[in-house]
Amino acid sequence: MSRISDAISELHKLDMEAGKRGWLQGIHPLSKLLVTLFFLVLVVSYGKYELSGLLVMGIYLIITFVLGDISVKLLLKRMKIVLGLVCLMGIANPLFDREAVLTLGSFAITGGMVSAATLAVKGVFAVSASYLLIVTTSVEDICYALRALRVPKIFVTVLLLVYRYIIVFLKEVERMTDAYALRAPGQKGLNQKVWGTFAGQLLLRSMDRAQTVYDSMMMRGYNGEFYLRCKRSAERGDYLYAAGWSAALLLIRIIHF
Amino acid sequence: MVMNILEIENLSFSYGNPRDMYKKNVLDDINIRISGSESVGLIGENGAGKSTFLKLLTGLLELKDGEIQVAGLELKKENLKDIRAEIGYVFQDSDSQLFMSTVYDDVAFAPRNYGKSEEEVRAAALLALKKVHMEDKKDRQIYRLSGGEKKLAAIATVLAVGAKLMLLDEPSVALDPKNRRNLIRILNELPGAKLIASHDLDFVYDTCERVILLSGGRIAADGGTKEILTDRELLEKHGLELPLSFSRI
Repeated sequence: MSRISDAISELHKLDMEAGKRGWLQGIHPLSKLLVTLFFLVLVVSYGKYELSGLLVMGIYLIITFVLGDISVKLLLKRMKIVLGLVCLMGIANPLFDREAVLTLGSFAITGGMVSAATLAVKGVFAVSASYLLIVTTSVEDICYALRALRVPKIFVTVLLLVYRYIIVFLKEVERMTDAYALRAPGQKGLNQKVWGTFAGQLLLRSMDRAQTVYDSMMMRGYNGEFYLRCKRSAERGDYLYAAGWSAALLLIRIIHF
Repeated sequence: MVMNILEIENLSFSYGNPRDMYKKNVLDDINIRISGSESVGLIGENGAGKSTFLKLLTGLLELKDGEIQVAGLELKKENLKDIRAEIGYVFQDSDSQLFMSTVYDDVAFAPRNYGKSEEEVRAAALLALKKVHMEDKKDRQIYRLSGGEKKLAAIATVLAVGAKLMLLDEPSVALDPKNRRNLIRILNELPGAKLIASHDLDFVYDTCERVILLSGGRIAADGGTKEILTDRELLEKHGLELPLSFSRI
């Protein structure tokens, strides 16, 4: 399978996971979104040397991953790219901040090392929490929750359409690369000479497909807004989930570990 | 008196600048009336103007010359939303038509846009799915449907809004014989008017009682399905061939 097919398959897998009938999937999307946002805000609020306190916040991720029966393997697979990026961001910290904050025998742990680790953990936690939300909530439900939080409809519509059009775009890329590969045996990737034509054709074909999708929406009364509805209204369990986690996370943040 | 769902008077259309003296009409002086329960096949060779014609009826292309009335409403910008509630357009490529995650969400898209309550949306979506025998697949992800199921889901999306006239663009393309047969059966079960643009003349023969033959942007023939589809001379003159089921006889 090509890398593009892999990408399309990954997106479909996310949709499928979110559509499962599990415990966590059953929680109202607004509750899940609020808890995720609160978690992200608290994670970001930790100072650069507060690594030990930050690590305790991981309890939320561990518990929800276990209870939601969510594949950590898939998360780690996706984390590779982000982790590399986060490490790159913090790589210079040990060079600038050399003051020892802890000594283990003859080995001194510097402030730069701690702040770099804190940055990496923040990145990992942010991605994990976002992944947790995406894998348990369909994009329509996330958009519904965003609208419920009064996020302007233009942003929500753009988010929804970008998600849908990514698949349309990737399918066009796949068709074109397949057609190219079949007529260019033994070649690895695209020859530089065809990059321009390929990009132009891709743009035209994607626009053509996108126009058809848009026509289809217009034919069904689309007037600039997706009327997103949740399958059910929030119940006591959903409020408890949001309130319980918010209280627990706040408590972890207040107590200095 | 039989109520016409579609009335077209002196319709002509060309792409590009209307003042261009070298432009050629894609459609030229089309006059058609379709009653509320007719099933009409629209046939013609490639480039005859079939898809352009369907897009004009739905307002996806701007009407420049002539008059179109759908369910008594004149086709103009301010009537487009009401007209689109009366016309359902099933695109050739179902993948482009279905853009939500699940079958139910896609079928519910139109009723929601027309301001129905969630109970009404649910009732309309389930009824539409029942009409195409897809009610057991309502929670299925779109990408997991077969080609035949996608076509039926696409038909359900237009039925959900209660369209009185259904336009189908090449509905039998890329369907295997079993799914094609199933689609014929379901289309024949559906009440209301249908306009089916297709190159598959056997499919047209099985689903339509009237045929309109377009050629060079003009109506070359309009009459009973059997009368037109068995006329070898007429079909060959306009770049078509007898349906396979007749050519074997």
